[in-house]
Amino acid sequence: MNPLILTIILMTVFLGTMIVMASSHWLMIWIGFEMNLLAIIPILMKKYSPRAMEASTKYFLTQATASMLLMMAIIINLMHSGQWTITKVFNPTASIIMTLALAMKLGLTPFHFWVPEVTQGISLTSGLILLTWQKLAPMSILYQISPSINLNILLTMAVLSILVGGWGGLNQTQLRKIMAYSSIAHMGWMTAILVYNPTLTMLNMLIYIMMTLTMFMLFIHSSSTTTLSLSHTWNKAPLITTLILITLLSMGGLPPLSGFMPKWMIIQELTKNSSIILPTLMAIMALLNLYFYTRLTYSTSLTMFPSTNNMKMKWQFETKQITLLPPLIIASSLLLPLTPMLSILD
Amino acid sequence: MMTYIVFILSVIFVIGFVGFSSKPSPIYGGLVLIVSGGVGCGIIMNFGGSFLGLMVFLIYLGGMLVVFGYTTAMATEQYPEVWVSNATVMGVFLLGLLMEVMLVLYVLKSEEVGVVFKFSSVGDWAIYDIGNSGVFSEEIVGVAALYSYGAWVVVVTGWSLLVGVLVILEVTRGD
Repeated sequence: MNPLILTIILMTVFLGTMIVMASSHWLMIWIGFEMNLLAIIPILMKKYSPRAMEASTKYFLTQATASMLLMMAIIINLMHSGQWTITKVFNPTASIIMTLALAMKLGLTPFHFWVPEVTQGISLTSGLILLTWQKLAPMSILYQISPSINLNILLTMAVLSILVGGWGGLNQTQLRKIMAYSSIAHMGWMTAILVYNPTLTMLNMLIYIMMTLTMFMLFIHSSSTTTLSLSHTWNKAPLITTLILITLLSMGGLPPLSGFMPKWMIIQELTKNSSIILPTLMAIMALLNLYFYTRLTYSTSLTMFPSTNNMKMKWQFETKQITLLPPLIIASSLLLPLTPMLSILD
Repeated sequence: MMTYIVFILSVIFVIGFVGFSSKPSPIYGGLVLIVSGGVGCGIIMNFGGSFLGLMVFLIYLGGMLVVFGYTTAMATEQYPEVWVSNATVMGVFLLGLLMEVMLVLYVLKSEEVGVVFKFSSVGDWAIYDIGNSGVFSEEIVGVAALYSYGAWVVVVTGWSLLVGVLVILEVTRGD
């Protein structure tokens, strides 16, 4: 793409999310969502194949439907409260429709079907933007309307998302689909704690973005999109295999890595609110996620798959530039001792 | 009939949308959009918004739909699909019409409609009073305010339109 056009389009994606996060008028929030959606379509279509066009069309259709539902909820809210500010959604109908619309934008179950297919059809860099930056705007709106969200609907969607994210990722060998199901499960964890303590949602979002950024950067560096090609990274860059091991275990939520922090805090906060069966179920279903992460580490860093002799001596072509990988690695694995610092997110 | 004119126009509006949602050829979709646009203009005018209604006619129908009609005429096929030519299109159109007729009967017969939100049947559709001040027309003052206090909205929408054009050119450019 022409660099000037690419700059303008990326700036508009950034501007759209900033408008959503900084507005106090519901119409401007809707405008921000639409601007974001419009500008990310050419980024998704950078590869220009029928697969990428189909993925962009699916993304556009689902997100536009979600924006329409959001607009309807805004108008119902306007009808019942007479004002456009985002303090509290006064009508339960509007609140339910708004929650469903934002869940469609995030990819929560039962609206998760677009996430693996769209993530698979686009390039790794576009998938990175899709799974990290695009989650910021709907989550910020959910954070702002969190006092008036119907708890039953949100908790049902959250628990089902953790379940679907775990089970759906079990049969995958394509790395982008694995990351998509991982995203669905993490969104489930984030929205489960939203009504009880929204600060932990923000903490989980922060840690999740750092870990997903790290994983995608490592995949881009080794140019691998399948488990098979990832299992050849020991030949090209052995250090990458260690980093993949550490980051994947952090994503699975194992202490002493930083991925344990949000899960621990969420379970603690849920038990403080006298719900014990729910966090137990969530922790057990997170094991499904951990299973396919450790299967990836098994094939990548722990074993060498049988390969022909010429695979053992690969040519080194020019390596791709990876942005900010050392700070990201440290952030996604060593942040657990900083847990008391989460009081700054209040 | 004049008290319920907004209701009647809204029903024609929805029937128009059903007409192009059942996906005939885009030429016929544009034709139905003209009808829906005109009817929508009538709805806005009944609420006292004469400026905005004429804006719909001028800009939407007279600008955007004309350009749409020309481009569709350049890209159309030899025998475009009408509502009656394809069984699927006719089936969807009739289904939409049936649902609209049932909804209209439900609204007319019952005292109160409470499907997603409550409104009291046809009474809520009749306009008894617009609620304006009577001294000046609020909608023209609103348009003027868009360019003074609401300058940020103009900047955002102008930027969105520019990026919309760039995005469309980028998407249709190909490799």
